[in-house]
Amino acid sequence: MPADGPVLDVAGLNAAYGEAKVLFGIDLCVAPRQIVACIGRNGAGKTTLLRCICGFVKPLSGVVRSHGSDLIGLAPYDVAKSGVKYVPQDKKVFYDLTVRENLELGSYASGDRNWEPALNYFPKLKVHMDRKAGYMSGGERQMLMIARALLGNPRLLLIDEPTEGLAPGIVSHLREVFTDIARKTSLVIVEQNLPLVCAIADVVYAIRDGRVAAMFSQRSEMSFQTFEKFL
Amino acid sequence: MTAAKSLASRALSWWWGIAATLLATSLCAVLLPTPFMNEVMIFAIYVSGCNFLIGRLGFISFGQPAYLAIGAYCTAFYLFYVGTNPLVGLGVGVLGGLLGAIIIGPFFVRLRSDYFAMVNLALAVVLFYVTQKLLVSITGGDNGLWFLTQMQSTPLLDLTAPAQFLWFAIIVATAVTVMFKYLDGTIFGACCLASRLNEDKLQFIGYDNFKIRLVAFIIANTVTALAGAMYAIYFGFVSPEMGSPSRAAEPVIVTLLGGVGTLAGPLIGAFAYTGMKDVISNLIGNWELFIGFLLVFIMLVADQGIWGTLPPAARALLVHLRRAAGRARN
Amino acid sequence: MSLDPRLVMSSVIFGLSIGGIYFLLAIGLSLCFGLMRIISLDQLLYYSIGAFVTYSVGVATGQFWLGVAAGAAAGGLASLAVERLIFRRIYARDPTFSMITSFGLLFGGIGIIKFVWGVVPRPVEVPTLAQFDVLGTQIPVYRLIIVGIAVVVYALIWAFLHRTIVGKAIRAAIENVEHVEGLGINVGRLFTLTFVIAGALSGLAGGVYAPLILVDPMMGLEMLAFVFMVVIIGGLGSIKGTAISALIIGQVVSLGSLIYAPAAQMAPFVIMLAILLIRPTGLFGVALTRR
Ligand SMILES: Nc1ncnc2c1ncn2[C@@H]1O[C@H](COP(=O)(O)OP(=O)(O)O)[C@@H](O)[C@H]1O
Ligand SMILES: [Mg+2]
Repeated sequence: MPADGPVLDVAGLNAAYGEAKVLFGIDLCVAPRQIVACIGRNGAGKTTLLRCICGFVKPLSGVVRSHGSDLIGLAPYDVAKSGVKYVPQDKKVFYDLTVRENLELGSYASGDRNWEPALNYFPKLKVHMDRKAGYMSGGERQMLMIARALLGNPRLLLIDEPTEGLAPGIVSHLREVFTDIARKTSLVIVEQNLPLVCAIADVVYAIRDGRVAAMFSQRSEMSFQTFEKFL
Repeated sequence: MTAAKSLASRALSWWWGIAATLLATSLCAVLLPTPFMNEVMIFAIYVSGCNFLIGRLGFISFGQPAYLAIGAYCTAFYLFYVGTNPLVGLGVGVLGGLLGAIIIGPFFVRLRSDYFAMVNLALAVVLFYVTQKLLVSITGGDNGLWFLTQMQSTPLLDLTAPAQFLWFAIIVATAVTVMFKYLDGTIFGACCLASRLNEDKLQFIGYDNFKIRLVAFIIANTVTALAGAMYAIYFGFVSPEMGSPSRAAEPVIVTLLGGVGTLAGPLIGAFAYTGMKDVISNLIGNWELFIGFLLVFIMLVADQGIWGTLPPAARALLVHLRRAAGRARN
Repeated sequence: MSLDPRLVMSSVIFGLSIGGIYFLLAIGLSLCFGLMRIISLDQLLYYSIGAFVTYSVGVATGQFWLGVAAGAAAGGLASLAVERLIFRRIYARDPTFSMITSFGLLFGGIGIIKFVWGVVPRPVEVPTLAQFDVLGTQIPVYRLIIVGIAVVVYALIWAFLHRTIVGKAIRAAIENVEHVEGLGINVGRLFTLTFVIAGALSGLAGGVYAPLILVDPMMGLEMLAFVFMVVIIGGLGSIKGTAISALIIGQVVSLGSLIYAPAAQMAPFVIMLAILLIRPTGLFGVALTRR
């Protein structure tokens, strides 16, 4: 294991799409086994932040480090290989591939053939192993996305709006899974579901117009009322 | 007040541009060999249709020879079988091109831009076969149709005399340029650009994408057919070779050479291309090699074309020179 | 009008073999579009290169099949160089952009071929003149060999895409490049691999078709329209579609020339227009999603 430093250290991150600047000096820090939640309105720049961290968007300036090693300038697949994995917002698994094939691709880069831990979080997937992923429900697809990303034991998962549009039952299942995952892996979750955030987050960043508007690290500060005004 | 002023100055500035181009072209017409200038002028008209398609609609067509051939053959049919007046022949060619575009357009403009590019090339190949093999009894196949001596001379500008034809070509090219410039400023021009940038939004604000594209397609390819008709009259001869698909990339190349979407682009591109072709063919004889890799080079480094690349390059050079001068002074 | 059944029979075989060539050429174009979103006209250059190398190696060694192998290898190598030097820089741009670039490559390549081999068309000897008797019709065995090669290639490609992990990654990347990258897979390598496979298949097509035509620098351009029509009818990005439409176009061209030869060249175009009228993205075309 790389020695010291936080699992993720973002400092002074600026990013833009063409002329339009989106992120203005974001600072964010994730300690081992922590769950960090980012909340904020649509268009605040949360997705852009995650995409900068994992190399899909090249930031204008700023620092992104993981255990002391620099992530900026790495290709997205190198970031993923270094153990920082991203679960995008769109819930697009590979529709034409079976669940098994989806998982095979998840473990291809790391060569990790031990699927048991990841599948134990989502027993439902075991039943549908040879089904085309395109035929599954939104909740099952989200599970597959997370399971796929978990293969190879990443040290950090970046999950973008995992519960968006899912049924309450699945949301509470995911809540348990997230706390379980966090025993080994740090999590950054972008989430609009405030009860979920209040229940599991260790640290909450409120993003507004591309800036960190507030940060909460005390359990006592975290309440629906406090967070609501950032949405 | 200021708006009116800026409008006036804009109008003035583009009129200036056209006047300056016209002057430069006339100068060239006097100084350079007439056959060369004739080819450049017709070629410029030919390319301006393609330039409009690429620059305003974002549609790249590798099938321009097809529309060129339609115009050329319609003119040739008239002058070979029916009449003797080249001006009427020109009209017939343009009408033929218009009709052709109206028939073909609805099929093609519905397509995505990549399919559009391919389908057009396929059309050019098929038309080539039609003129070369299928309708031999009418088109004369590879022998083509020859009617140079059949044309009667026209008053004012005698189209059968190359030197006078050149002035006619310059006038037509200017008219085409002015028309495209005018279109740019209209709602229609704005819609074309908008449909290129974002079709969904355009649909949303209540303009019909299909109609806009169709009209643009018809305008562009009627102009292309006009160029074909002028070729026919200038050479007094047409053959399938004119619409050969192996020349399908020429208008696209020249458009890129001159700079996509710029007004003077086609003229400058036509100048550069025709000139280079003469020089290179004489020098090394392997024209494909040169033009192919030139095209790749343009795409990789300077996709703004001559017109778009030169000013920044000149500016960079100027800055560099000024700095050097500054250093020398210190 | 009555047609001689024996003529029809040999025509069908002829159509199958020419369809096989179309397939070998079009599959590369189609895969490259599906994965990289490029229109790679330069495949027709590798086709010509394959034919010329087959000719030269055949003349030098007297071994036709060695020539074909060398032709496929040359196609693969040329495409590798082109991908590394040129396409790599333009993947991010619009498909039509790649189309122009590849047209330039095709032209420049034709210039190089003219420079190396000259403009005189070259004949390549048919490796076997054996005939095969089908219901009283004499069918050249070589035509059947071409059909066989096309079928084997189809099966191999299918197996590669469905049974190997790299092939699965390619299928996944056809759906969504970014997600594949997010799993730690170097998509650039998949692109290179796919492009080289396409180039090698084009080279193979040129090699096996060489004995049936004259090898000349413009042979790629002559093939262009047909390959386009095959790809468009089948739908860009679909392997199944490409195979089916190659089959159709092969038959249309060969049976068509039996009925009225000049029209045979036009018929595929009419079919293409008809299909595009119903389905603007071809029979099995992938919808172009924004990436
Ligand atoms: N690909 C893109 N190109 C241009 N602008 C974008 C792109 N993606 C997002 N944006 C803009 O960046 C801003 C932040 O978007 P995003 O990061 O997706 O916000 P969030 O995930 O918080 O809803 C928005 O204003 C959005 O319009
Ligand atoms: Mg978002």
